Amino acid sequence: MSWLTPELGAHLIDLGSAMLLLTCFAIVAQRRLSACVDLFAVQSLCLAMTAAFVAFLTGTKHIYLAAALTVVVKAVIIPRVLRRVIERLNVTRELVMNVNVPASLLICAGLVMVAFFITQPIIPFGHILTRDSLAIALAIVLIGFFTMIARQKAVTQLIAFLVMENGLFLGATAATYGMPLVVELGVFFDVLVAALIAGIYTNRLQDAFDSVDTSRLSELKE
Amino acid sequence: MERTVWLSIVLTLAQVLLLIAISPGVVGLIRKIKARFQCRRGPTLSQPYADLSKLMRKRPVVSTTTSWIFTATPYVVFGSTLTAGLLVPMFASQVPLNFAGNIIALVYLFAIGAFFLMLAGLDAGSAFGGMGSSREAIIASLTEPAAMMAVFAIALTAGSTNLSVIVHKTALLDGIVADPSPHLLALAALFIVTLAETGRVPVDNPATHLELTMIHEAMLLEYSGRHLALLEWAAAIKLTVFLALLANVFAPWGIATTLTGTALALGLAAFGAKVALLAAIIGTLECMFAKLRLFRLTDLLGAAFILALLGLLLFYILRG
Repeated sequence: MSWLTPELGAHLIDLGSAMLLLTCFAIVAQRRLSACVDLFAVQSLCLAMTAAFVAFLTGTKHIYLAAALTVVVKAVIIPRVLRRVIERLNVTRELVMNVNVPASLLICAGLVMVAFFITQPIIPFGHILTRDSLAIALAIVLIGFFTMIARQKAVTQLIAFLVMENGLFLGATAATYGMPLVVELGVFFDVLVAALIAGIYTNRLQDAFDSVDTSRLSELKE
Repeated sequence: MERTVWLSIVLTLAQVLLLIAISPGVVGLIRKIKARFQCRRGPTLSQPYADLSKLMRKRPVVSTTTSWIFTATPYVVFGSTLTAGLLVPMFASQVPLNFAGNIIALVYLFAIGAFFLMLAGLDAGSAFGGMGSSREAIIASLTEPAAMMAVFAIALTAGSTNLSVIVHKTALLDGIVADPSPHLLALAALFIVTLAETGRVPVDNPATHLELTMIHEAMLLEYSGRHLALLEWAAAIKLTVFLALLANVFAPWGIATTLTGTALALGLAAFGAKVALLAAIIGTLECMFAKLRLFRLTDLLGAAFILALLGLLLFYILRG
């Protein structure tokens, strides 16, 4: 592998991280729920590719397993569950938002800037592989957090939560070359269970209120 | 000295002829791909050439209420678009005209054409023309900042606003883009700008005439004969130039960095393949997406602007 210099490897990891950020913005700009799910699946695939690159370049075997689990859990199982939930609901798109799309995009750009500024002093201490990834990971976490606040439908909020988790995984992989395998397995299991529970909860919400608008939950009173 | 001057002239002429010759073919290719996706056979690749030659032979009909702007516009648009095309490296990384203008000149050469087209749309005084002009003005004002930001993000990483220098530097790195994350964001932004500027599907539908949602076609409604042919041809050239820009700035694989015969032949083949691939991507996208509502365009173009801005900031904050 003489052509794969560390320089080129770092570029490929940066490219993967940038792809994640790009899909994040696509999710923020997208109103159709099914398209959001597809974009999340694409984002998870990019994440798995980035993780596989890190594994290949550092020779850390257990990241391969984490990448494979990402593909299985986040790019196949969770999107399938979410699609089934969406099929059952009578909503196809997010019509009323707490913050409209152009304003959301501007706020997300601001969040990315904040993330860049915060991580800027840390980056020189890191390894060459993590030049952009740490900043982008923090930006993705912030964007996911914001999207959870800005959207009203339970399904979109769930996707935003999963996007946040993707950002955390990217940060962990890029900055520390992965957590111990036991921790990663635990996190995957948690995410899967959280997604399943949120899916069931969304269905219950639909049954109780005829809507998956979580702002209705404030009406629950004794 | 004498020889390099002649070589430059020959290369410039070759690029002009190439642009004029292949641009209707690119449009034909996109139409063909769309037709295949819709289970139609579709017109042959030479159909746009046949259309143009038929229109060229017809006499233009000009309304008596129009001013000189109406008759001058087809020539201004064609000329400015073709000049813009000379600033973009197509098959050789060093464009002979690179001393004359950079990537900023390119954006504003296109803007001259768009400006005159808007004026001409208003000039004839028909309701459709004015509507098209007003919509085009909205889109132009939204795409221009995005285009400029994307352009600056690329120029910063290359250390020059000159397109020849940018492409040449990237090509000498064996096609490895020097700084992938700002480039990827700029590429996404520039792709959206390309769709908006050339009037492709999420923004405008090039296949419709006499529809209330049309934008580019609405401004051309009053034109006929060779004027219409020139404007259609200019639109095709604009599309080809944007595709060449996308292909060569972000993936300058195979472009001729030296002026030898084999390098030029390889560059020409690579250029054809890349433009055909991009045309296929655009054709596929047009079949996958519906046209956006006019008032939803701000979402798409706003996203392009934000992405380009982030590309710029990524460079400034993380590399600065």
